[in-house]
Amino acid sequence: MATTVKTTFSRETSVSADIKADAAIVWALLTKASDYPRWNSTVTSLEGNIALGETIKLKSILDAKRTFKLKVKEFEPEKKLVWGDGQGNRVYTITKNGNGAVKFSMVEKIGGLMFPMYAKMIPPFDQSFDQFASDLKKESETIMNSK
Amino acid sequence: MTLELFNQEFEGIVGQLKSYLLRITASIADAEDIVQDTYIKAQEKLSTFREESSLKTWLFTIASNLAKDNLRVQKRWVENVTDITKAAALSNKKFFEEAMHIRTTSPQGQFEIKEHIAFCFTCISKSLPLEQQLCIFLKEVYEFKVSEITTILNTTEAMVKYYLHTGRTKMINVFEGRCALINKEGVCHQCSELNGIFNPKQKAQEEVMKIEMAQEAEKGDKEHLFDLRMAILREIDPFKSKASELQLHHLEHNRQLMDNYLEKTSI
Repeated sequence: MATTVKTTFSRETSVSADIKADAAIVWALLTKASDYPRWNSTVTSLEGNIALGETIKLKSILDAKRTFKLKVKEFEPEKKLVWGDGQGNRVYTITKNGNGAVKFSMVEKIGGLMFPMYAKMIPPFDQSFDQFASDLKKESETIMNSK
Repeated sequence: MTLELFNQEFEGIVGQLKSYLLRITASIADAEDIVQDTYIKAQEKLSTFREESSLKTWLFTIASNLAKDNLRVQKRWVENVTDITKAAALSNKKFFEEAMHIRTTSPQGQFEIKEHIAFCFTCISKSLPLEQQLCIFLKEVYEFKVSEITTILNTTEAMVKYYLHTGRTKMINVFEGRCALINKEGVCHQCSELNGIFNPKQKAQEEVMKIEMAQEAEKGDKEHLFDLRMAILREIDPFKSKASELQLHHLEHNRQLMDNYLEKTSI
């Protein structure tokens, strides 16, 4: 279950999942932009190339009318992916646990000095984070178990 | 392995190798060139072949590596390739005259819906990312195991599974949206339309219903329908089938059009 920690100047939502699949599969799903809407029910479109320094355009179910322009800030294959904008970053991490499975975690922290001014306008992320992690787990394990 | 035994076994594999290369290059000349280069390279390196894999796997590995350097293999087509090429063919009198000449004079100029289904898959599969296209052909048409494909494409089992799953899913969705043989709402009827042109005495619907994939369509099992489509490809050798000359002529036409189309639309 996703959890959110709120402070005056920030909000941080995180979720994690144990996925019985090779890290390469999880990484491939996380880094192939155009494929997101197929397996991820929280993303309606994702354009661009997910690679270090690139800018991507994301549309999510949280705000269907808005396009988020995000920069890929860290890109460590099969380990860590970070994208974000001036308001915050989303950090994906994949940790191999040694038996062919991985621990996936996703954290997004938004905030800053102006955060109290717009905090109430930002919808909660918890449900979509749960959905994201669940979709990723399901798709990764389906691929891993395919013959 | 002796050269004599190699030559003997090569003869048994070359047909499949050539058809694989045709399906990924969409070019008769390039497929033939890569087959020749594969033979030369394999012969040169025969002393290094330790028989850790089958000769077929080894040859497909060499051929795939050579193919990856081929520009026509690298070029990715568009999902609606058959719409674009149909529009061009309809305004190209010469294309139909040539096709009709092949139809009436060549022993390999028959038109069969099944052969067009295989041809259509070859064209549309070129819209997939290359790795996905290669994995689908290797697994579904040339019946390699996942472990053998890891050798052929020099990648991991996990990635082969990823490419297969994503490629299959994409192709299932494309055909579900387009192919009138499996979806009454499908926008593409080209195989039946061409059957009407080349086999005017046949009733297209009766011909369609001879195909198991069309018979099974109403059950709506998309994965099964895709498997049946792959079974059609496995049955057909695009160089030796009864319709090969007609289909190769059509493929050359489409490839030339796509070469021009991609050149015009590239930034």
